[in-house]
Amino acid sequence: MTQYEHAVFPPVAVPAVQPATRRIQPQLVLPFLGMGAWAYGVSRIHDASIGNYGLLASADIWFVLGFAALVTAFVLELRRGEPRRWLLGLCLVGLIVAIDATVPILFGAPEYGWVYKHVGVASAFQKYGHITDPTNIYQQWPALFAAIASVSSLAHVNALSFAAWGPLGFELADALLLLAIFRLLTDDRRVAWLAVLLYEGLVCWVGTDYLSPQAFCYLLWLAMVLVILRWLRAPASSAQLRGPLVRLRAPLLVGLRPTPTTTKTMRAIAVAIVVTIYCAIVAAHQLTPYAALAGVGALTVLDLVRPRWLLILMVAIAGAYLAPRYNYIVHNFGGLFSGGNPIQNASGTTGAHNGGAEATTALIVRALAGCMWLLTLAAIAGRRRALGRVAIPAALAFSPFLILGAQSYGGEAIYRVFLFSAPWCALLIAGALCELRLPHRWLLTGALSLGALCAGLQGLYGPVRVDAFTPAEVTASRWLYGHIPHGSLIVLPQQNFPVNETADYNDYELQVMPADPQTGDPWMNEADPQQVESWIADFGHRTAYIVVSRSMDASADYYGAPKGYAELVRAIPTALRGSVIYRNDDAMIYRLELAGNDATAPSSKAQSSIQAENLRQ
Amino acid sequence: MSRPRTELTAYAGILGSVLSVGLVLGAPWHWLALTGALVLACVPAGAAVMCWVDSGEDAAQAGLTLTLSLAVVAIASTVMVWTASWQPRALLALAFLGAASCATRLFWSVNR
Repeated sequence: MTQYEHAVFPPVAVPAVQPATRRIQPQLVLPFLGMGAWAYGVSRIHDASIGNYGLLASADIWFVLGFAALVTAFVLELRRGEPRRWLLGLCLVGLIVAIDATVPILFGAPEYGWVYKHVGVASAFQKYGHITDPTNIYQQWPALFAAIASVSSLAHVNALSFAAWGPLGFELADALLLLAIFRLLTDDRRVAWLAVLLYEGLVCWVGTDYLSPQAFCYLLWLAMVLVILRWLRAPASSAQLRGPLVRLRAPLLVGLRPTPTTTKTMRAIAVAIVVTIYCAIVAAHQLTPYAALAGVGALTVLDLVRPRWLLILMVAIAGAYLAPRYNYIVHNFGGLFSGGNPIQNASGTTGAHNGGAEATTALIVRALAGCMWLLTLAAIAGRRRALGRVAIPAALAFSPFLILGAQSYGGEAIYRVFLFSAPWCALLIAGALCELRLPHRWLLTGALSLGALCAGLQGLYGPVRVDAFTPAEVTASRWLYGHIPHGSLIVLPQQNFPVNETADYNDYELQVMPADPQTGDPWMNEADPQQVESWIADFGHRTAYIVVSRSMDASADYYGAPKGYAELVRAIPTALRGSVIYRNDDAMIYRLELAGNDATAPSSKAQSSIQAENLRQ
Repeated sequence: MSRPRTELTAYAGILGSVLSVGLVLGAPWHWLALTGALVLACVPAGAAVMCWVDSGEDAAQAGLTLTLSLAVVAIASTVMVWTASWQPRALLALAFLGAASCATRLFWSVNR
């Protein structure tokens, strides 16, 4: 039992452990065996052998056994009446390392194309020390990029050197904060630990923990929740006040235990901490401030937060930041709201579903998300006689859905709803599992945890051949920005390539062919060289640089789009008369001379330099 | 107030502050300097506050120290970018402030 009296989940009587079980403790060995099996499994994976079903399908049994051993050890330890925190912590850290270190170890470069754009903005701040591209939305919300630039400047390194490890760092920090929050909401330590384990499995597929404002602000949001639940809960006496609102809320708060005692000074400090953290969130990300408002708003409506004006203060901060950028949003994104149809806003990104591997992986993660919310509803229903016991996690689990009433966020809104909902769903499901009165409840718990993890890992690792880049591709991209003249036109047949990672990214004109349904309305047929050439020529450059790469091939294969990509790759050196200026194992850069255009042609000196460099490759 | 937890935070703050300044200013290799810069971003500012505030839980204490530090570094860096007065080394002041706050906390607890 802890000092907190406001626990959501009361401790459950633990059945006596058999002496034989007590003597044999495989959970002491399994974490080390699991990490060893995972490491051995990773060493036997070759990135070239990874197919469209991803890492899990391409890896050998040792890789999968590693995860299974870590989860098994964790659940075996949870069975004990007083689980050892160091052992649970060891299993959890081992699991997070296994989940998030695999791709950096295998590929040696940051995953996801967006990371390179983020690195570019941070590099611009690092090099110039001020806003260089006000038309870039990242530079309008610069807090994370400025922080990365500070760290990079102090260490005299480029952010690319550590960006690949962002997911591992963010997940470890998230787990620490979630454990702290869950310990505030339950007296049973096992519920808190199990919830973190479930969370890691449930959420790993969303892939929003890479070096990004979203990952950064999510971590800060968890810290805000922790401060609010620890020091800014409404005193119990206020629930006894009379009034229509109180009567409406009363059934929802039955069973809610008294809040911990605190002082006025501590409340003032807590408000200052919340405001500081919220200011960082507001300056770093477009969506998270409103997800945070939804969460704090839900708790305020339930009259669980003091001071009540905290919500108003947060609205004022978010509004004050948004107001001077309102015209920018309207001009570039058509307004703050993308329609009030929640179903449409929840429909996800418009993709070219290729069937096969892509469709299978998508189906698995949709099933995982559906099961998570259904089990959460079941857990809430199971406590319908004392809803106060689950009021806080339930409010936080479902308040993110409010986002869908306003924004599709470019098709990403539903993924963010899942992300913000997952911790509280995990807590509610863990609470229900620990209260089950079944003879084999720990077997069920282990199976459920492992099932969630496997489904999440398939979502994370399924498209890894597409999402991950090789060092050769990054080298090609850096060569491109280092050698072509500023102002040049760079053309990508599709967007899946590391670009814009340089400080001067906005000196170049980057165009992605409008042939991929995932990036807009596709009208171009890439198999038609004349159409492609005419489209490139319309930009008015005499020279253009086209990049093709391994990750583009993988993406076209995985998503079945853009149509005609393979034909285009064959046509570049022939029908489009492209000459190779750079080539390595995973990428090729062509220069196209466009007859009739006479603008921003590279100087003869620059061309000679490129040719000379090409010969050295 | 739980003295051991806040005092531990104060010790961590002083250690983090000294380590970060030492590594950023004197590390012979970039990866060591990067370690120092990351410690600077993750410890001193948060420890300066959390050495006075007991959250009641070890994980909460560590988590809030980390996130508060990150938030302060992000805000300070953003202000530098907005005002076009880019001096990342000015962030080392956070280490001095953090160490001062933590040292005061320890001094206060000894003399209480």
